[in-house]
Amino acid sequence: MDKRTNLNLSGRKHARVIIVGAGPAGIGAAVALARKGVRPVVLIDRVSNVGGIPALCKKKPGAVPTFVSWLHGRALVGEQFVAGLEARLAKTDVEVWLDSLVVEIHAAERRLTVVSRAKGKMDLSADAVVLACGSRERSVAERGWLTGSRPARVFFTKHLFDFIDANDILPMSRAIIVGSDSLAYSAAAKLSVSGAGQSIMLDRRRRPECNVFQRLYFKFWSRPKWHGSIQEVQVKGLGVVEGVKISEKKVLTCDSIVVCGDLLPNTELALLGGLEVRLPSRLLEINSGNRLSSPGWFAAGNIRGGFHGAQWCYLNGRKVARSVLKHLA
Amino acid sequence: MPMQGKILYDWPNAKIEESLILYALDQLGTEPYDVTIVGAGVVGCAIAYNLSQYQLRVLLVDKRYDVGEGTSKGNSAIIATGFDATPGSLESQLVTQASRKWPELAHKLKIPFEQSGALLLAIDDEQEGKLEKIHEEALANGVDDVRLVDAAEAKRLEPNASSKVRGGLLIPRESIADPFTTPVAYAEVAMANGVDILLGVHIVGLQKCKSTVKNLVTESGHRIATRLIVNAAGLGGRDLADLYHGAPFDINPRRGQFLIFDKSCHSIVRRILVPLPTAETKGVLVIPTIFGNLLAGPTAEDLPLGSPEATSTTAEGLRWMLSNASGLCPCLLKQPVIGTYAGERCNCKQGSYLIRYNDGYPGILTIAGIRSTGFTSSITLAEYVTEGLGEQCDLSLDRDPDAVDSRPDSCWPGWWRKPIDDAELVKKNPDYADMVCFCEQISRGEIIDALDSMLKPRTLDALKRRTRVGMGRCQGFECRIRVAKIVSEHCDIPLDNITQKGPGSELVAPAHEAIYG
Repeated sequence: MDKRTNLNLSGRKHARVIIVGAGPAGIGAAVALARKGVRPVVLIDRVSNVGGIPALCKKKPGAVPTFVSWLHGRALVGEQFVAGLEARLAKTDVEVWLDSLVVEIHAAERRLTVVSRAKGKMDLSADAVVLACGSRERSVAERGWLTGSRPARVFFTKHLFDFIDANDILPMSRAIIVGSDSLAYSAAAKLSVSGAGQSIMLDRRRRPECNVFQRLYFKFWSRPKWHGSIQEVQVKGLGVVEGVKISEKKVLTCDSIVVCGDLLPNTELALLGGLEVRLPSRLLEINSGNRLSSPGWFAAGNIRGGFHGAQWCYLNGRKVARSVLKHLA
Repeated sequence: MPMQGKILYDWPNAKIEESLILYALDQLGTEPYDVTIVGAGVVGCAIAYNLSQYQLRVLLVDKRYDVGEGTSKGNSAIIATGFDATPGSLESQLVTQASRKWPELAHKLKIPFEQSGALLLAIDDEQEGKLEKIHEEALANGVDDVRLVDAAEAKRLEPNASSKVRGGLLIPRESIADPFTTPVAYAEVAMANGVDILLGVHIVGLQKCKSTVKNLVTESGHRIATRLIVNAAGLGGRDLADLYHGAPFDINPRRGQFLIFDKSCHSIVRRILVPLPTAETKGVLVIPTIFGNLLAGPTAEDLPLGSPEATSTTAEGLRWMLSNASGLCPCLLKQPVIGTYAGERCNCKQGSYLIRYNDGYPGILTIAGIRSTGFTSSITLAEYVTEGLGEQCDLSLDRDPDAVDSRPDSCWPGWWRKPIDDAELVKKNPDYADMVCFCEQISRGEIIDALDSMLKPRTLDALKRRTRVGMGRCQGFECRIRVAKIVSEHCDIPLDNITQKGPGSELVAPAHEAIYG
């Protein structure tokens, strides 16, 4: 990890551009703006490293190349891809604020309230703000078709990275995976490689969401047992997960559930801060030129909705930077 | 100051601090207890709180690994005025008295509390006709500040209520409070006054019932000597009563499912919206919570005693609730639901608020059928049974002049007192600015405060109820593992021994191996 990015935060009260979220999209926007001579650019992230979600995916022996991007015919694991981004970021004079949580935004004034260990609570305003807050996996309740009890060991895919990659702990040996997009398949692959054996995959769809080529790719590591067209999944177990009931007669046993994919953009800050967000989809209202409903606000990366890889997000960040430049001019 | 009571966990192989583990009962002294309360829900804790004001040796035991983890944790969080109780019943009497005590009690015990008011809404002619009768009942219950409002005023009070509203009844003192802090607060004051607390202790036997000093036998073989026994075990009360051959009563869990809406919906409704009760059900309420979310619920489904489904949600139940709640407040249909839960009320066939002194044997008190209003009435119920124990069971009630009845200001939950807004405090302890839970904005400092608090919570759910960490919209997506690590580091518990609610709910499956060599 590049220690240079762990800057002590400046006492700045105003920046030319603030970018919320130092994932691929945020870094893409920051680098592009800094190269065009915009300064100061402040890049804020709530965790203690840059790179966002891909940074969680570590390069380890036997690791599944998930969150990969292809560079000159070589597959890069998340961590390696982020290292490349970090190198680009290090060459610019972007101010990186880590461990800093944006707790409130004020759309009309283009002002953010930031909380960090180093500075406490402070306000920061800017001429333009780029929201690159990414997305998260829909929770059990948000999916609506997962009901039942609330025992321990119902995880998100992200928790697999937190456990397996960051702490070398495999929290399960027989998992049920809910969802069937590429995140779900990569979770199955990750579990299989880590020694948790074959997983069971459930979805409401009849056929998996991943297309046949994606499935072929993941087949190299694992072939999860597929159960499609499921109306309702009832979680069983009081202490820990013991199984799921998928129909009147059928109960599948397992020791954990991984709730995968079905991403939801992190737009709550925007909604509470006065930017227009469509309900119930919770997608930002994005106008031409990547502009949000209030002047000077922009959105880049997965916060715009959908599921995109790190490379796409990085490029999207750069594209949004061009819209920001137009606004600043 | 009296000697502070002890907290011990009967938790084999927990790898928690030695000083918190129960090895032998003489860790608590050899004198028999004057009163042992079985069940540390809101009622048991309130009784412990009330008895701690007297010169008595009191023990509070629960089979779970935190206080308030059964019926008390899944409710609608309403401090009722009792306007809709059956006039003249014990329930009505206790609830109406309690509702007047709550503002002061909440302040003393540092329980977040807000007098939000409630609005009973009639949405058709037939319902409108019933309003008058409910109004009269409320007056008969001693809730004298209710007022009938017409459609226009109802609409003005709650602009987002359904446009079909024909009229309503305004109940200004109906309030909301933090249901998680309440049992904790009672128990902490009780403990400060010398009450001992045993958690994870399941009572499976009773010896020497006829003598004045009885023995409660725990699952792990300890014998608790006590003069009086209070059965406040809620839904576990029937099994316990069987041990002492208490008079018959039938209880079963009545499931209530709830939907939790995101904090972004907070401004939609200001008061608790109550539908008119029908013959079958009290209906689905829309309730602002003290935390800033909105709740919709509950359902009322009777299940057999001991059913593992009692705290399970069902798709059908959730759908039914959403459609009912949107009848009161149509815009809820489009709002994000961030969580669901099912709570259980203790439904008693012989009528609610069943209280029997010297049940089976002298010196045993049975309390059963305390349903959803128990959260409100806990304090007056405790006073009522304390008095009863004095009269019926010869308990000598001498006030302890040194006893405290409140908690210090530092005990306000972190999410309520917001340490981040106190610049001086943050300077002293930067942990308060180190955010762990991003959705609820809970800092590492608040988590550590909770871990070090009097009852020494050691499970993730206990921590969640105290700090709200992981209760937000992402439901632990960002912070679950980080919180587990903080607990692991601060309390020196290996990460694979961290549990959600005690043994049998480990976050990591036991058969794991170290991976990648």
